[in-house]
Amino acid sequence: MSTTSVVRPPAIERRVRLAGVLVCLGLLIQLLTLIRIHPLAFVAFILIGCPLVAAGLILYLSSIVSHAEGRGETGQPI
Amino acid sequence: MISPTVLEVLFVGIAVALAGLIVARPELTRVRGGKILAFVTLFVLPVLGGWLGFSEHMERAESTRFCLSCHVMHDFGQSLYVDDPSYIPARHFQNNLVPRDHACYTCHTDYTMFGTMHSKFRGLRHLYVQYLGTPPAPADIKLYTAFNNRECLHCHAGMRVFEEQPKHNKTPDMMAKINSNQMSCMASKCHDTVHEVGTLKDATFWKGAQ
Repeated sequence: MSTTSVVRPPAIERRVRLAGVLVCLGLLIQLLTLIRIHPLAFVAFILIGCPLVAAGLILYLSSIVSHAEGRGETGQPI
Repeated sequence: MISPTVLEVLFVGIAVALAGLIVARPELTRVRGGKILAFVTLFVLPVLGGWLGFSEHMERAESTRFCLSCHVMHDFGQSLYVDDPSYIPARHFQNNLVPRDHACYTCHTDYTMFGTMHSKFRGLRHLYVQYLGTPPAPADIKLYTAFNNRECLHCHAGMRVFEEQPKHNKTPDMMAKINSNQMSCMASKCHDTVHEVGTLKDATFWKGAQ
């Protein structure tokens, strides 16, 4: 009889993945705004694309900082 | 020659692809190489891409096409093609005295230290009025302040044809007054035919650059 178990990825990987999704979305929107020369494209770049990228970036940085703190000064898990 | 826009698109495209790789396989970050890849993909490339995109949008915001993309500016764009040299913007546009792709910006920015920034903020206000406010009729659009000779003199100062023009030297102090903005190029009835969008229905148009 076999059993299957679902292994949840570590928290840092989940946060890095989410950061990646946000950065991806933000960059895609930034890319789309380059298609047309129009004031609304600029607004979409500033108000949607940039905040998404910034959110992903902050999430990524905070996840690696919190991960490093969790490992303590010796580099070993606390 | 690859245009900067194509390079920007390629750069952001690569950044998206790499970010997609991290999303699909976050376990890559368990090893040293993966950590470096994640740092480059989720920090370095997005910052560079954002900066490049911002710079591209700033450049585009100075283009004639950008300014005329709002419906309310259509008549001002038309006024650049009026077949009458007494229309100052039309004369400059049709004779390449201003770059055609930056025609609006060339005359309507402030040639001061923070002039470009002020122009962009004015543009944001225009955006607000266009999409969230009530845009005025084209003929009712006025400058915030009287047109400063500084903007004309940015190109004309020092030009022989400008300084030796008899009309600019009717009195001994006339040139000094023009240079110090005491005598306006436009308000002094010398070059007072500008866009005149209220009279366009009776105008004839130059077909040359269309």
